[in-house]
Amino acid sequence: MKINISRHQIYILLLSVSLFLFVLVFAFGLLIPEGKEYRLKRIELKKAQKEYDQYQMFHDETFEKLKKLQGENRNVITAFQRVFSPERFEKQHKSHFSSLSISKIQRSKDEAGFAVYEVNTTSHISSPANFYDFLDAVNKGDWIIGINFPIKFLRDAEMIKSSFTMKVYANNKDKNVTASRSSAK
Amino acid sequence: MKYSYIKPRKKTPFTPDVQLIVTFFSITIIMLLSTYAFLLFKDYSFVQNRRELISSRLDLEKSIEKMDDKIAYIKRQKALAEKIFTQNMVLKDSIENLFDLVPERITLSRAELLKNGLILYGITPSKDVYNFMLQAPLRSIFQKTYTSFYSQKNGWLRFVSTNYINEDEGEELDSED
Repeated sequence: MKINISRHQIYILLLSVSLFLFVLVFAFGLLIPEGKEYRLKRIELKKAQKEYDQYQMFHDETFEKLKKLQGENRNVITAFQRVFSPERFEKQHKSHFSSLSISKIQRSKDEAGFAVYEVNTTSHISSPANFYDFLDAVNKGDWIIGINFPIKFLRDAEMIKSSFTMKVYANNKDKNVTASRSSAK
Repeated sequence: MKYSYIKPRKKTPFTPDVQLIVTFFSITIIMLLSTYAFLLFKDYSFVQNRRELISSRLDLEKSIEKMDDKIAYIKRQKALAEKIFTQNMVLKDSIENLFDLVPERITLSRAELLKNGLILYGITPSKDVYNFMLQAPLRSIFQKTYTSFYSQKNGWLRFVSTNYINEDEGEELDSED
């Protein structure tokens, strides 16, 4: 039996085979590896997106926490930021004293990372109750002030002369040292 | 001179069979190429998006770190402020208790409140009044109590009372604070 294949048919067969081979090589050589790469990168992106979402959520939570804390402690934060002013202190607290004298403030050793300034105070009070009121008022005042030992009370005619040291606490950046000596009577 | 009465048909390599094959493979190759181009574009886009996400995540990390620092600082401020306010209140109560401690028959002329002690200067009508009405309560508070008396012309006695708590106990109290 003789198979009669024309030259033209052979050309067509060769063209078909070569094109089919090209398609196969392209598909297995480029397209499928690229598809795998696509899948991997999509998984990585999803992973990164998930991580980002978690961080975003944590960020929002932390932000809320910070805002809440700032809101609840606004007075304390402002008090630490405020530069101590002897004049203003006297104005606020002189109602508790018959006379009040504040020495020049001096930088003391830092405590717990905060700047500490010492102020010596001399005053006259008519009764110890004035001093109790002063201690109450100091806690509600514009600065974070701790009354320090020693505290001396001395009878002076009908008055009580008191002298004590106050520690003013502030953030480490302030410039309280420049405050000047002041005295009010 | 003509050898045939029909017109010769044109011979072309693009026979209908070839055209069919070329069309089929062209469509196949175009589809493959476009899929490949799509994958390349998506890969690039994924890489870009991932890079942006990582960059944003790092920014968030820094921001969270800063906020954590602020939160820690505010907490420290709050703790210190509360400690100082409490100390002031304790001091107020101590002074209040001190003045309540002194009976009416004894007059104080001077009082010094120290970190670990108390020094009182005053006048008492007699040693017994002082011992029963002031020294007893002072002894219940302080571990070391020393008193000196000086007689006055009117028969009353001036006294200097020095009272200390034990340093160890003071330190213990401080550490508890």
